[in-house]
Amino acid sequence: MSVAGPLALDASDSLGALAPSTASGETPLTAAAVGSVSESIDWWLVGDPADWWFVVRNVDYLAGGVLLTVGLTVASILLGFLAGFPAGAVEVYGEGLPKRLVSTAGVVLRGTPIVVILLVMYFVIGVPQVNLGVGSISPAISASILGLGLRSAAYQSQIFRAALSSVDDGQLEAGRSVGLSQFEAIRYVVVPQALRRSIPGFQNEFTIVLKDTSIVFAIGLAELLTRGYDLFTQETTAVLEVILFISGIYFVLTFTTNRALDYLGTRYAIPEGESA
Amino acid sequence: MTDGDFLRVSDVSKWYGDEQVLDEVSFGMDRGDVTVLIGPSGSGKSTMLRCVNRLAEAQEGSITLDGEEVLSPDTDVDELRREVGMVFQSFNLFAHLSAVGNVALGPRRVLDLSENEARERAANQLERVGLADQLDSYPAELSGGQQQRVGIARALAMEPKLMLFDEPTSALDPELIGEVLEVMRSLVDEGMTMLVVTHEMSFARAVADEVVFLDDGRVVERGPPEQLFERPENERTGRFLERIASHD
Repeated sequence: MSVAGPLALDASDSLGALAPSTASGETPLTAAAVGSVSESIDWWLVGDPADWWFVVRNVDYLAGGVLLTVGLTVASILLGFLAGFPAGAVEVYGEGLPKRLVSTAGVVLRGTPIVVILLVMYFVIGVPQVNLGVGSISPAISASILGLGLRSAAYQSQIFRAALSSVDDGQLEAGRSVGLSQFEAIRYVVVPQALRRSIPGFQNEFTIVLKDTSIVFAIGLAELLTRGYDLFTQETTAVLEVILFISGIYFVLTFTTNRALDYLGTRYAIPEGESA
Repeated sequence: MTDGDFLRVSDVSKWYGDEQVLDEVSFGMDRGDVTVLIGPSGSGKSTMLRCVNRLAEAQEGSITLDGEEVLSPDTDVDELRREVGMVFQSFNLFAHLSAVGNVALGPRRVLDLSENEARERAANQLERVGLADQLDSYPAELSGGQQQRVGIARALAMEPKLMLFDEPTSALDPELIGEVLEVMRSLVDEGMTMLVVTHEMSFARAVADEVVFLDDGRVVERGPPEQLFERPENERTGRFLERIASHD
């Protein structure tokens, strides 16, 4: 296809400097095209069959990108949770040096652009290749997981800090009054309530990390979005088709995960009565 | 007056910053006694109660329970609280647990009973406070009076040797106060040692062995209820009781 519809023009415009070759030399949007939107709506919305065929032919390449996107997201969210949850707890219940260290680290990580974090991990710290039994993780991937994961930890710590603080002090006090230690009272009384309250914030964080994985192109990795970009710079008539296709994949990934978390939230919701 | 020495509070003082909230408070209880702390709000009675299980820290004086010094830095506060039950004004039930889960948590995690034993003990305690039919209800599904009875059951499940009640009926609608007081009366009948902060003067009059009137962090007057209520020696006690009575 050639770019003729407003949606496609928007898409290539918004890519701006990233895709100069697609923006130049295209058929300009003519009055006739605008006038015939009603009859042309089918094809500009769904794209040219030949260009869809191009997407299908390259689906393997994109699938590799999906794998990297999902892998980076899962690993980063997991690392973010494992580091972010305790960090949030330290910010709420800790004192002195540990609390200052954790909150300073959080401020630094949240205040640094993610590209800079990745560049530092890759070029300055130089995260090494990690050998697992079955295979190895390249330095670029482990740097990406560490960078995205620590950044996510800094954000997740705030989700959990807010959730822990939102649980009434009387809950902790009541736990202590039956003889639970501070740690046990937090563990058995406060944390179960705080985790439930952190689900909406966690849904946000998941969605952000998923889409931010594309930033790993800065250290040479090609996940879903970067691979899409590679494709439509090769086949400049297929910009819309490629973008629609990968957007669809992002949508499926965020939608299913958010639904799963919604389900978790409903499944473990604390029953509420009318006579509260 | 001879003081009991099961719980003995001697010259306890406490400050929040520069503000003194308890000023050499002393009283004593024997096993099985019921002592009621009364006084205007801000008089320090809740703080006094909370010093007994160290939810608040007294800075001076001594509190001994069954001969053991409570305020010593060597005291294991978790062990102390295992033996001293507490009922809160705002119930503070664990919102994410059912009634039986609320009561079973202490026995399960503190006394290390098995899941089944803890549940059984919890069910028994809930039956004791008249909630055998609400075992699986969550706090938000219960009325205030029912919630407070779960709170009492939760404390009882630890088999405490002393029960502290911090204004247990103050947050309740008037029609729900009776069911909670009834449970408390039954505990009195069973011989439970109870230290109670309350504004329920008729309850105090009916069950207290001693009433302690606190004002401004100080014990103004104390004595058996008939004496304190009928013939208060201190003018401030008299004025407080009149103010309370005019609202009854």
